Amino acid sequence: MPTPTTENFLKHGEDHYTLDDFRSSAPRWCDGCGNNAILTAMQKLCRDEALPPENTVFVSGIGCSSRFPHYMNTYGFHGLHGRALPIAEGIKMSRPELNVFVNTGDGDCCSIGTAHWIHAIRYNMDMTVILHDNHVYGLTKMQASPTSPQGLKSNTTPRGTYLQPLNPLTVTLGIANASFVAQAADWIPDNLYDIVSAAYRHKGFSFVRVMQRCPEFVPVMFDPYITDPERILLLNHEQGIPYDPVLGKTYKNQEEHDPSNIDRAREIASLEDKIPVGILFQDKQAARYENIRDTNKPYSPAMIKEALDSEFDKFTVMPAD
Amino acid sequence: MEAKLEKSPDVAKLTAFHLTGERSGDTLSEISGKNLLPALYAEYRDLSHLRYDYPLVLVEDSDTGNFITPLSVIIDNLLRETVPQGIDGEFLRKKVLNLENCIKQMVADGRDGPFSELWTQAETTLLEAEDAETQDELESYLEKISRTSKVLKVKGRVVDCDRKTPRRSIQHVWNEQQQVTRKNLRKRLDALILRVAGVLRADFEKSAEARSAGNIKGQVGTTFEDTFDFEAMSNLLTETLPEQSMSESRRKRLQSVLEDLKAQQFVGVENLDTAPDKPADPYTYVFETCSEAMDAFMDRLPGLVSVIKAIAIAELELENRYSEERHDPFFRKFDKTSLVPEDLSLFPSYLVLNNIEDDDAAEKARIIEALSSGLPIKVLEQADNILVDMMGGAGQAAPGGRGGQIANMALGINSAYVVQSSASSLYQMAPSISNGMQYAGPALFSIYSGAGGQSAGLPPYLVAAAARESRAFPSFTFDPSAGPDWADRFSILANPQIDADWPAHDISYEDSEHKTIREKISFTVLDFMATDPRFAGHLASVPVEEWDDTMVPAAACLSTTPMEIMDVAPYVMMVDEADVLQRVMVDQRLVRTARQCRDTWHALQELGGINNSHARRLLQKEQALWEEQKKQELDDLRSKAKPAAAPKAAPAPAADAAPAPAADAGPEAAPAEEAVAESVVEEAPPSDDPYIETTRCTTCNECTNLNDRMFAYNEDMQAYVADADAGTFAEMVMASENCQVSIIHPGKPRNPDENNLEILIERAAPFQ
Repeated sequence: MPTPTTENFLKHGEDHYTLDDFRSSAPRWCDGCGNNAILTAMQKLCRDEALPPENTVFVSGIGCSSRFPHYMNTYGFHGLHGRALPIAEGIKMSRPELNVFVNTGDGDCCSIGTAHWIHAIRYNMDMTVILHDNHVYGLTKMQASPTSPQGLKSNTTPRGTYLQPLNPLTVTLGIANASFVAQAADWIPDNLYDIVSAAYRHKGFSFVRVMQRCPEFVPVMFDPYITDPERILLLNHEQGIPYDPVLGKTYKNQEEHDPSNIDRAREIASLEDKIPVGILFQDKQAARYENIRDTNKPYSPAMIKEALDSEFDKFTVMPAD
Repeated sequence: MEAKLEKSPDVAKLTAFHLTGERSGDTLSEISGKNLLPALYAEYRDLSHLRYDYPLVLVEDSDTGNFITPLSVIIDNLLRETVPQGIDGEFLRKKVLNLENCIKQMVADGRDGPFSELWTQAETTLLEAEDAETQDELESYLEKISRTSKVLKVKGRVVDCDRKTPRRSIQHVWNEQQQVTRKNLRKRLDALILRVAGVLRADFEKSAEARSAGNIKGQVGTTFEDTFDFEAMSNLLTETLPEQSMSESRRKRLQSVLEDLKAQQFVGVENLDTAPDKPADPYTYVFETCSEAMDAFMDRLPGLVSVIKAIAIAELELENRYSEERHDPFFRKFDKTSLVPEDLSLFPSYLVLNNIEDDDAAEKARIIEALSSGLPIKVLEQADNILVDMMGGAGQAAPGGRGGQIANMALGINSAYVVQSSASSLYQMAPSISNGMQYAGPALFSIYSGAGGQSAGLPPYLVAAAARESRAFPSFTFDPSAGPDWADRFSILANPQIDADWPAHDISYEDSEHKTIREKISFTVLDFMATDPRFAGHLASVPVEEWDDTMVPAAACLSTTPMEIMDVAPYVMMVDEADVLQRVMVDQRLVRTARQCRDTWHALQELGGINNSHARRLLQKEQALWEEQKKQELDDLRSKAKPAAAPKAAPAPAADAAPAPAADAGPEAAPAEEAVAESVVEEAPPSDDPYIETTRCTTCNECTNLNDRMFAYNEDMQAYVADADAGTFAEMVMASENCQVSIIHPGKPRNPDENNLEILIERAAPFQ
């Protein structure tokens, strides 16, 4: 954190951003893809929070959604399948001053990357994680993912999936030290923006599952919810997302939910007939791994060299005389 | 206690003493040598049998920020953590409490030391006293908790309440917070030094000098120097020198910043290789007087300005935000006037450990100067003997309340953090003390030790507690950072019964017929002063046979005007060594002093929002206005009620009659109007023009990819109809159909000659 004098300069500097400052190449997602709405929300967030692009990094794994870093004019790391979170943790550990965002899909996060996901929740490092959940593997042309609804026919499940889907919200809420759990829908852009903003401001591991349309492979998956606003449950609270009278006209089904109430959060997360959107749970006091492990000392080149030499010495094979 | 309440007095002698302080005849006797105590002290004569806030443990490295914790609290936590509740834990509970008593006794005998050391010694003492049967069980328990208990891991010295306690406590809290400040500053400086040096090194690596054969040879070493062609390598690397390198002005700026950061003397070096030969603490920050602290600060000020300037430049540079055009002029003029308290708070503060009795007029002026300066100077003003100050000299009655003079004066500065407390309340006031240490500006801690030694051999804790209880030395906190007004900043909540002039407590005693009498008596500053033999001349004991209704409790006298008590005899209730109740008269001069003490308390109450005279007056004014308004409304209603008696007989209003006044329309009128207004807004005439509900757009590109002249994105990347005529109605309808969230409303066709219009209008209908 800069000194107050520096802060004044930074505040009154010329850092006024526009969306263009955060736009990179044109997205190669399909027309109608919900990822576009998420991209716009994140770019608006970066603009409104005046996040310097050189101090911001988007990390992803593999999948349609994981193309995200390519479309942000910030630092980015398009990683390995399922490994976005450990990469992001490494970045946060070594450069805690950076704003770290993670974009991961339902396959990337909830299948191959599950172990990292579980432990990242527990570590509670300060980063914003967006789970783009379209319930299907899109990049590889439609295979069932862990969140696919039971019975979904796909290339790998021609007779329909056999199992109940995994619920990323209840899983996250079940992990010790979870600190921020929210859900949004890409087709309610104002609400999506409010939620990712709140997630960014939360100091800790902010997990936002975004229900994301895939018009190419599951085009009608979310239609019941898009066409019937009664099936959306809008969560509001003075400690969460405040009531929005404009949204209230369309989405009349609202609940005042205190984000500190984890029991009710779990009940809401388990709803099957409605999609709850808003902040389900927030614990601002949860311990953060980077703080626990902060040695309060910077590492000088000499210290790093010494540590490396010490490690290398463990494997050194001395030449025979 | 025994008491006899009968027989009439010689009124003239009593009132004469009250008015003149002269004892006539043998009715009244001196209290010197009788070892009298205020009646409310009777239960507290022997502190060793009581559990209270002392001894204190001055906790080191506290996770919770509680740097001052009573031993009893630690023991309670230990019991909660390790001993079963109920009868199962009775044996161990008793033994742990014995351990606590043992430590208390050691501390009372003058031992103080680390908690762990005293605990171990108490364990040994306790085990030695046990018989063989219980020894094993107890030893096993103690061994187990020494391994497992988090509570017992507490580090810190155990101290009793004595003359050294305020100084030790304040210095302890300061030390603990300074450690954090030093650590954070060291970390900040080290990080900046490393990163600035890194930037310079990276720039150097791009230079021809860095890629010279000699330099490369130096880096590779001598092992392969015969087989390696350094010249060839240098030529190869020099050919690929980057085109851009750092500007000369920037390099010089960074080098200068690096030198200033390395040369600072405000915190020492800790295990870093940046300057290992430097001492850990180059400067001292603890002083005996404000003059010394201010002088030291001013001497170091130029260095401080350099470091803060270097930090700011380095941070801007490392954020890649340094603009020579914008920042050079500012930093050229950067001097001591550019410093803000928040910048100074990153550096160690200056602690002054002062005793008010040692202050001369010049030093008092220096203290006020320091507190007004905005500098991070933390001042302990310890008072050991507030009664002398209150009386303007031993035994001489004079305007009182000067024990807290410096603290009261500091309140007027308005920007200094002020805490006043007696030593008995240090635990209670510890959060305030801690906040004062963290406060970015100056802070004053005015603390009464109770250890002046003048109070009839009473323990300092009891004297200090009595000073607070009697309003002689009330506790308060003024925190300028807590909010914009006094309600946020000032608090007297740490005092007992803050609404009252004097705290009142129940007391019970037996009369001469062994009947239990219960009554409530107040503890006034006169009770407190009665414990000090220096004021014995202003007090006189009245034999029980002289007690009469003309004798009035001192608290009652203090609530009346001086003229009203000319012919009464105020007294305080005391007990002798045998706990026999006594009435001790006080003279007028002492009562006058008590009155002034109460007035000072009233002033504090007002500042704290209790019985605030301005608020009372405003309330009275508002109440009068409200009553007047209500009366007026009532009169209006009554006058209207009379003609309304015959409404049916009244003629029907004419069609063009003026509308009824709004007041007559009743409460339903306003909502009705709002509803109309709302319906006007909501039911705007439908337009034939196409439109998009832009705020609901999800940026999915369907429409813009279809026709990017007809549809465009706004600055929030949400679509709107840019030009309805830039395409066909067919495209408009197709866009409506393709829109994932159905927010495109196609309107009516704009070209009546477009093909298939009937079909298109039919397709458009669901989206209108």
